[in-house]
Amino acid sequence: MKRFYLRVGAALACAVTLSACGGSDGELLLGGSYAGVTKAGLVLTNGDQRFEVPASTAGNGTGSFYFQDLVSTDDEYDVKVVGMPDNVSTCDVVNGKGRAAFNITTVQVICTFKKHKLSGTVANLRASGLILVNGSDRVEVPAGATGFAMAEVPEDAVYGVAILQQPANQACTVANGSGTMGKNDISNLTVTCAP
Amino acid sequence: MKSFLIRPALALALAAGLAGCGGSDKAEFTVAGTVYNLLYPGLKLTTNGTTIDVAPPAKAGDEVSFAFPNKLEYGDEYNVQITGEPLHQDCDLVGQYPTNADTAGRLAQIAIRYSCVIEQHAIGGAISGLTVAGLVLANGSTGGTVAPAKDATSYAFPLTVEYNQTYGVTVLTQPAGLTCSVSNPTGTMGDVDIKNINVACVPNT
Repeated sequence: MKRFYLRVGAALACAVTLSACGGSDGELLLGGSYAGVTKAGLVLTNGDQRFEVPASTAGNGTGSFYFQDLVSTDDEYDVKVVGMPDNVSTCDVVNGKGRAAFNITTVQVICTFKKHKLSGTVANLRASGLILVNGSDRVEVPAGATGFAMAEVPEDAVYGVAILQQPANQACTVANGSGTMGKNDISNLTVTCAP
Repeated sequence: MKSFLIRPALALALAAGLAGCGGSDKAEFTVAGTVYNLLYPGLKLTTNGTTIDVAPPAKAGDEVSFAFPNKLEYGDEYNVQITGEPLHQDCDLVGQYPTNADTAGRLAQIAIRYSCVIEQHAIGGAISGLTVAGLVLANGSTGGTVAPAKDATSYAFPLTVEYNQTYGVTVLTQPAGLTCSVSNPTGTMGDVDIKNINVACVPNT
């Protein structure tokens, strides 16, 4: 009789333990890092879990994320991108798929900014030697040129075109040289040279 | 008779073998290693009284191997130090645990690893007449922005500029009621911080 109760008790304890382990609440984190996220809009899913990644506070578009729901040991996970910020062209997931054994911190979501052209017109450039810079981007403008194009600039990034070197015996100025890249190409920069 | 001849022959062979093993040839160790990302000349490494020059690779980006000509014997201590940095670069040991100092023979092979990075320098300058907040300066699309506070008399960009890269500072946002202009706004980074990108602000008329 005693033995019978013991057995039932042991079975119950076992069942409780099992349900605690394998129930709806998991115990492992699922997440990782992201790059190229400067504004809200990135939405990730894992099965029916959905997570909206807030804009990076670091200022450089990078940060880390974790799904609010934990996953259980041996659960399969598959992180997918279902929404992107409107200033990126693609968001790729690296190490997004697997089976949980430890806290998962290695999922990477890498978004690539849309890029737009930055160009302008040149007036009265008769000599060679003009060099324009936009930060570390350097463009030589030959004598007689009537236009120029800098390297493409990511959407929402600032730009500032300035003259690194004046042409021989001429002095040029840049108008509309600085601003913030919007959704469209910028082509209103003007370089005017004298005499 | 036969066995009488064989025995001395064996003894001779044994003696020859022993001499080959432990005789005058002592184990020698070469202090050697690899340098990554070396682009400019001038790197000098020194250990045990010998200095070698490590030249940059023929093709930029390749790794460079080095080896000290002086061989060490088992148990000799070595401690490789950088006694000359390359131009425009800083080199340092790679990895969590330093590999540059040890005792020869503890490791089968001595492999010291250095990695070099191009030096970065700050850009900035003096400010005059900035009586209100709101000024934002930009260094193109690559160099970030800086927003000097009201009444600031100097500024520097939080992002630094690599040697041989260009910079170009422009006014992204003018403060309310002021017009600020930048002198010496552009250049190509050399080996020192740039402090002459001065900003002068005057009230709008």
